[in-house]
Parts: sequence; structure tokens; C-alpha cells
Amino acid sequence: MRSLLTGMLSITMLLAGCATTGEKQFSRLDLIKQRNSLICGVSGKIPGFSFLNSDGTYQGIDVDICKAFAAAFLGDPDKVQYRPLTAAERFTAIRTGEIDLLSRNTTLNLSRDASGGNSLTFAPVVFHDGQGLMVKKNSAIKTLSDLSKESICVGSGTTTEQNINDAFESISVSYTPIKYQDLNQVVAGYLQGRCMAMTSDRSQLAAARSGFRKPQDHVILPDVLSKEPLAPASLGGDHRLSDAMRWVIYSLISAEEQGITKENINEKLIQAKNNPQLKQLRRFLGVEGNLGEKLGLEDKFVVNVIQATGNYGQIYNRHLGPNSDVPIPRGLNELHTNGGVQISPPFN
Amino acid sequence: MFSNLINSLVVISIVFIFLFSLLLVFKWLLFSSQWGVVTQNLPLYAFGVFPVDQRWRPCLWLLILAFLSIVTIFKPRWSWFGKVLPIAWVGVIPLGVGLLSGGLGLLPVESRHWGGFTLTILLMSCSALLAFPLGIMFAIGRQSKLPLIKYFSALYIDALRAVPLISILFFGQLLIPLFLPLGVEINRVSRAVISFTLFVAAYIAEDIRGGWQAIPNSQLEASKALGLSQAQTIRFIILPQALTIALPALTNQAIGLLQNTSLMSILGLVELLGISRSILANPVFIGRYIEVYVWLAGIYWVICTVMALLLRQLEEKVSIQRRIRKNV
Repeated sequence: MRSLLTGMLSITMLLAGCATTGEKQFSRLDLIKQRNSLICGVSGKIPGFSFLNSDGTYQGIDVDICKAFAAAFLGDPDKVQYRPLTAAERFTAIRTGEIDLLSRNTTLNLSRDASGGNSLTFAPVVFHDGQGLMVKKNSAIKTLSDLSKESICVGSGTTTEQNINDAFESISVSYTPIKYQDLNQVVAGYLQGRCMAMTSDRSQLAAARSGFRKPQDHVILPDVLSKEPLAPASLGGDHRLSDAMRWVIYSLISAEEQGITKENINEKLIQAKNNPQLKQLRRFLGVEGNLGEKLGLEDKFVVNVIQATGNYGQIYNRHLGPNSDVPIPRGLNELHTNGGVQISPPFN
Repeated sequence: MFSNLINSLVVISIVFIFLFSLLLVFKWLLFSSQWGVVTQNLPLYAFGVFPVDQRWRPCLWLLILAFLSIVTIFKPRWSWFGKVLPIAWVGVIPLGVGLLSGGLGLLPVESRHWGGFTLTILLMSCSALLAFPLGIMFAIGRQSKLPLIKYFSALYIDALRAVPLISILFFGQLLIPLFLPLGVEINRVSRAVISFTLFVAAYIAEDIRGGWQAIPNSQLEASKALGLSQAQTIRFIILPQALTIALPALTNQAIGLLQNTSLMSILGLVELLGISRSILANPVFIGRYIEVYVWLAGIYWVICTVMALLLRQLEEKVSIQRRIRKNV
């Protein structure tokens, strides 16, 4: 009995030893390359962001971000294993190493980033969500203040309710909240005409609207009442992986800034190769310099990414653009040059 | 029915309400329902995201299960069949695990690709297969004369019955991986099966105890007088009778277990309910909730009915054997 106990103890200590020494030099990025596939945690249940298509493949903006990572890390956007996760499981899954990274509309905030909290590291924001309002198109309501003394359907006991209260108080306008238990009831109440407007996160409003009989009769107001910056995340302390992720997202944004698309990337690459004057483009596409190598990636990782998914605007429009099934106005997600906040630092 | 005014009014209004709702249901079925969300996604409901070129494996397993169910319910008169059938039923469960996970020449498919109807059936059957012997063990343990075993079994049964299933499932999915050393990973399906097994075993133990206590004490005294050992008494006198008496309650457990597997959809497994929720997030099918949930209700109803029929067969078989034994 005693020898069994000591044996078990020594095995545990051995395993613990492996765990601590392994963590220091080894980056998850090496593991991904070694495995030759990326394990990406997604939701799988959010229209426009990640959902299951009839052919059994995952699709959506979160899924395209996974594909961009795989294209950059492994040179192939299809080398991704998607793992559907619920909100409760996502942080356990990343902490235990069940997944490499999380691309599952996770709101970036301090306690999730800090080592005293969830100890994650976030890549740049891929979608600025926020609470919005939806009204009927023919209702002549264009801004928040038009809703003075009107009724608004809202889910009760949520931050949603608090946010709308704060927003109306700050512009000293009164309104009548009509409270419901959950989003489906809010939608039903709105459709039955019990209120002039309904409020929820803009992505959810858009998803709900897609299910309406006449989606085009409803508009989402441009006002945004709260900040919900959604960003991919990896485990904190793994600088090589988080740096690589950060610059993959920036490359998507930078490509849109420079007008590089999935369609013209090969053209641009030839241009860059033939014309030594285009220093910036040559660095960006890895013709010159060693930007990729510094991140532990191929120098032409940007080319791989853009060939696979297109630039940020193309990804956005594919899933959330005006012609998609879940249209959400770009708003804050526009480039900084068009009035949004998406901006990429220079690739130098 | 029409004895006085109030009675007639009540009857007429009930008939009216019934006809009216029937009319609404038919109107919905004929005019406003769109079943594309079901018909276009049938492979997903059946196999989840199992690799397309390997789908014959879950398909084969489901066919074997269907075949076994049919021959069990309709009982062809092949004499050898009665002996093979129980072994086949027990064997088909590990066979399913083998077919799904691969190995031995088959391409390995990781458990995160398992899904849909196949995963629901697999979760239920694996948990039931493991929980049954465990439950018997705890039932015997609880009747033991050794205090350590007796109190441990009692403590286990009472503790597990005092905790809601959902919290055990959360424990299994979220906490077990944190306790394991780095690099050791039990996949999510196994964790779910372990959680279900531990939970259901406690209930099975109590059901069997119910059967146990229905056996008159005189039988135990008689077996002692005949010189049977404690183990022999349990093996030959108590268990056959206790299990037979407990069978209807065990059937209940099996059906409850099947329905409880749908709880895994809120813990990220894409079993029948989980895959349906993923399909509902597809922008093409947004808002088709009613069709999907009606379809799910239909599937669950069919599985539960088949299970109830199968276990009814078992009940009949066991009771006939009892009668024969009595006659001999």
C-alpha cells in the first residue's frame, strides 16, 4: 500500500514537472504547426458569426477568422478543426488546451484580459457590437430622441435594460419600457405592435430581423448604446501565438486599407515583384524583408491569408454585408478613413 | 353529457376549442410550415458533422440497431435467436463505439465529429450499459453487512440523488479537465458518459433496492437453511427476482436517460438537440423554430416508443421464464 502511494506521488510530481518545464519555451504556435492543424473554438449557434451549413461545414465571420489564422500559420485555410463551445465552456476549453484559440464573439474587457481574471490575450477587435434599437421603416423614427414617450420592448433584468435606461436618461427623454423574459418574447412583442422599437445587441437584432416575414420593413437605428468589442483570444503568456494572431487580423484590415482583395491579390503580388519602388507593398506581401519570419510565420503569410479569405471588408460583407442574410450596418467596423475605428498599424 | 345547461355548454365549448386548435394546426401544417429546414439537413440530424466519406459507419450501426429492434419486437420463431439476442444487444454498443471511433483498419474519427441522432443513441446506450452493473453493485453494497461498504454505498447513492443532474454534467464538462494534469485529456463524449453513468447508477441502485425489499424474508431464511452462501443467495435467489420486479422502474430510467442526453446541448455537444440549434443559426433557416422542434419531438417520441416496446419484450420474456421455473 505504501509503495503504491509513493509511486502515485512520484508519477504526479513527474507530470507536474513536465507541465511547468514544457510551458516555458514551447509556444502553442509550434504545437499547431507540429499537428498541422488549428483547433478553433467557435459558437456554432450565432447567425452570421458561426453556424452549421447544410453540407456540414461551419460558416460565418468567426469561422473566416479561423480560416485566416490557419492560412497564415499553416498555409492552408482548410486545416482547421472547429470545436463548438457554449459561453460557459469557452474559457475552460482554452485554459485546458482543448482548443488553440477562441474565435467565438467574446467581448474584450479588462477582467478577461488581466492575469488576475481569465488571463487571456486578445487579438484586435474583429467586430464592434453594441446595443441598438430596431424600428419599423415607416415609423418616421430616425434617432433615439424621436422615441420620446414611446414604448420600447426590452429583455428584463439584463444589462440591456440598464443601458437603454442610461441612454435615455442622459438625453433627458422619457420612454415606457415593456419588459419581457427573453429575446424571443421581445421579438414577438415587437412584431405584435406592442412597442415602437425593440432593443438588444445589434448582431442579435439583425439575426432576429432575418427571421421576419418582411425583413426589409425594419431598420436598425445608427445609435449604439453600449460597447461590445468582440475579439479572438488565446491563452495569456504565449507571446508568439498572440503576436502572430494580432498581425493576421491587422493584415486583413491593412489589406482593405490598401485596396488589396481576394480577386486582385495575385495581380498585386506580380506588381510588387516587378516594381522595386513599391517598398511598402513589397514588405506587406513578403517580397522584401522578413516581417513574417519575425512572427514565426512564412514571409508571404499575408498573401496566404488574403487568397484564402479576402480582406476584412470582404469577410464582413460576405456574412454581415447589405446583401447577406444577416445584414448589419458596418458603423464602427468601417475603416478609420470611412468614419469607423478599424485601423492597422504599419507593417514595418 | 347534456344533462343540464352548464354541462352542455362545457361540452360544446370543449369540442369547439378542440376543433379550432385542430384547424389551426392543419392550417399551419398545410400553408405556413416550411420543411426545408428538416429535409435539407437530414444527414446532419442523423450523423452530425461526421466526415462525409465515413458516414457509412454510423449508418451501418444505426441499421444494425434498427434490425435488432425489429427482430426483438416481432420475434421470429428461430430457436437459436433467443440465445443470441441478449449477447447481440450488449455487443452492439461497444461495436458502435468501435465503428464511430475507428482503428483496426478504419480511419480514426475523433469524438468531436460525432453528432446528431447517432451521438444521442450512443450517449444513452453507453451510459446505460455502464450504469447498470454499477447500480447493481451499489444496491448489493447497500445491503451488505460490512459497515464500510454499506455506509459508502448509502452515502454515494444519497449524495448523487441529492444533486441535480445538470450540476453533475457541468462538473464533468468544466471541472474534470481542470483537475487533470496537463496533456492528459478525456474527450467530451467520455466525460458526458461518465457523468451520466455516475448519476444514473444511483437511481438504478435504488430501483433494485425496491425490488430487493419486495422479496419475502422467508426466502432468504430458506436459502440459508439450504446452505447457500451469501454470494449464492444474491446470485440465484435475490437478483433474478429483484431485477424482474424492478424492470418497469428501470425502463423508466432508460427513457429518462435518453431524454436527459438533450441537456448536453447546453454543454457544447452537438447531439440531436445541439445540432438542431446549430442548424437554426443558419441564416437560411432563421425563424423555423416550430418545424425543427416538431420534428425533434417526433424523433424523440419514436425512439422512446421503440425503447418502451423493447423493454416490454424483456419484461414478458423474464416473466415467462419465471412461470416455467415455477411449473418445474
